[in-house]
Amino acid sequence: MILFDQESRILSDALVARLKESEKPAEVDSHLVEFDDVRYHVQAGAATSHITISIGLPVAPPGAAVAGGLGGSIVPLGALEAVEAAYGSYAKVLDEPEKGFDLTLEVDVSKVPTGEGEQQKIIRSLASLRSTIMAAPLRNILKALSSEGGDPQSPPSAAAKPTALSYRPKEAFYVTRDAEKATVVFPMNFQDSNDVIIASSFLQEFMEARRTASAQTAPFCSYSKSPPLELKNVPPAALKANAGYVSFVIFPRHVQGDKLGRTAWALLTFYAYVSYHIKCSKAFMHTRMRRRVEGLIQVLHKAKPETVKEKKTASGRTFVKPT
Amino acid sequence: MEARNRPAVVIDNGTGYTKMGFAGNVEPAFIIPTVVATNETYVKSGGSVTSAQHSAGVMADLDFYIGDEATPRASSYNINYPIRHGQVDNWDSMERFWQQCIFNYLRCDPEDHFFLLTESPLTPPENREYMAEIMFETFNVPGLYIAVQAVLALAASDTSGKMELTGTVIDSGDGVTHVVPVVDGYVIGSSIKSIPIAGRDLTNFVQQLMRDRGEPVPPEDSLDAARRIKELYSYTCADIVKEYVKHDKEPSKYIKQWTGLNSRTRQPYSVDVGYERFLAPELYFAPEIYSSDFSTPLPEVVDKCIQSSPIDTRRALYNNIVLSGGSTLFKDFQRRLQRDIKKLVDTRIAASESLSRKDATFKTQAVDVNVVSHPMQRFAAWFGGSVMASLPDFYTSCHTRAEYEEIGPSICRSNRVFKGLT
Repeated sequence: MILFDQESRILSDALVARLKESEKPAEVDSHLVEFDDVRYHVQAGAATSHITISIGLPVAPPGAAVAGGLGGSIVPLGALEAVEAAYGSYAKVLDEPEKGFDLTLEVDVSKVPTGEGEQQKIIRSLASLRSTIMAAPLRNILKALSSEGGDPQSPPSAAAKPTALSYRPKEAFYVTRDAEKATVVFPMNFQDSNDVIIASSFLQEFMEARRTASAQTAPFCSYSKSPPLELKNVPPAALKANAGYVSFVIFPRHVQGDKLGRTAWALLTFYAYVSYHIKCSKAFMHTRMRRRVEGLIQVLHKAKPETVKEKKTASGRTFVKPT
Repeated sequence: MEARNRPAVVIDNGTGYTKMGFAGNVEPAFIIPTVVATNETYVKSGGSVTSAQHSAGVMADLDFYIGDEATPRASSYNINYPIRHGQVDNWDSMERFWQQCIFNYLRCDPEDHFFLLTESPLTPPENREYMAEIMFETFNVPGLYIAVQAVLALAASDTSGKMELTGTVIDSGDGVTHVVPVVDGYVIGSSIKSIPIAGRDLTNFVQQLMRDRGEPVPPEDSLDAARRIKELYSYTCADIVKEYVKHDKEPSKYIKQWTGLNSRTRQPYSVDVGYERFLAPELYFAPEIYSSDFSTPLPEVVDKCIQSSPIDTRRALYNNIVLSGGSTLFKDFQRRLQRDIKKLVDTRIAASESLSRKDATFKTQAVDVNVVSHPMQRFAAWFGGSVMASLPDFYTSCHTRAEYEEIGPSICRSNRVFKGLT
């Protein structure tokens, strides 16, 4: 696995258990937590015809693009519309989200089509609820880029203040839109000091990798220790980063058609991606360390003086060499 | 939000299957085979690992699969089973296995959750240290607790809510069967007995019986078919001779039909399922029909195990015999076991009474034998872990990252016993 899937496996398994087994629908009630503090609660009684999926989002940092959700909760800007557009035909958002969660979606099982392919599609899209909600503001910005890309009629003011988008508890990344490109900047923060070091070299390599032939069409990526110029209007207090700043430049061709959803998701999970690969590289280093230790132990074993064992015959007599 | 406010992650790594999920749930989120399929090409290149990696361009160390995704890749990947006989054998694979469990299956950030891992009762403390090293160094977990599977199984069967944690656990999974006496949450290590008969042997036995009878099972599917048949149709009988007679009298009622699908040709085939229905679980009660190396029946092993425990604990151990693991799920297994153990105990008491009968004032109090079976039996250890990790005491009993950094992996050699609200 290199990138995170959009769908949550647990969520899709639960939905399959409830929807696919129409003969004997399973009772589902589970709480789960994903990376970046996204919490879910899926509940579906065997007898009722509703599945409720509640989602709790990470606490947004001050200044992030958010909107008031239902029942006093706070959701990313444009999330409610996105949910309505994606699931409107068979599910509705409850006016009062479950206590402790930010949004509760009630899926009406009877309205879900029973066709094999369609059902599969619906399960996939419901399981990527997180992407629908959290990537909504980013998708809207990028979509505007692709639809009016290069349109000189409406050039946004050059010194546009970057939009802060919430993606981790109390952390945000920033998007600045120019006429024909969008720049996305991530301040990277890691808790562990070892991780900071691995992350720095990982991100350095990550930037270098953009130059290889196979990645020519990828978004331009740069990594620096100091905040890039795009962020000069952001209050420095919000810009703490112990592992530097990564910025991507997104052109309209990166967000055309199907690519939009994937690009938005990849950007949204960038931190999780880096964090996952740091863990992987540590595991890889450990593998090599173990191999090395094994090799060294072998050398030690070879250096042991060989004790000459007295050889005996079956009857217990020994041969002694006459001196 | 602090890690203590989030549910802990509970991962129970068994020889055959790994159960994982979040604490507080009733069922594990995933039950997958403990298998890793790795691409070993980058390791084989010997000394020039770095150059091989660069030229490969692919991230070969990420090119691996676990669980159900691993088994179909046996032809192009190296399949290995990181756990042998309940103990971690290959730490490289284990580390990767956990990595995928956490990131790909549970999709959680290990820095956000406390972890509860399990170990089999006879694991050496060094393994626990190694486990802690991987968890704290690679995954940066904020806290870790390593629990013994048997103790968790006891917690799972506890319905009174008192968490007595005293009883004998019969843990029979895929690889090996253990009988473990636990008193007040502590395992009596010297009295643990193990039996080399478990789920896999039962499957082999069923396979053998069907092969001898000449059932039309394609050879490459026969193991899987035997496993399915074992899981679907087996039951424990009260008396083997009577059962044979019953089968012979009314074959239509007792002999079942099973239809399988040839994995290669996609042709359906059908087989009769006869005596193996009750003979497979019978292996526990009469092992001599399967192997000549081991012939002590399970009830006798349980009895011996309790008899070798401290004398003041024996009554409590007889009173609460708990089943755990997939191979204890056979119908009526619990009744048969209880009957057989009771018989052994009663015979012994009668013998000792008859010896001291001369003065009539002496009267023994009857020993209660209780074999407990419960709906969570299949993943009892995981469920127990889920229960334990939701107790408020869990977070204070864990080894935290701060402690680890201060003292080192040796802190995980022992794990505090806790019982929740007392």
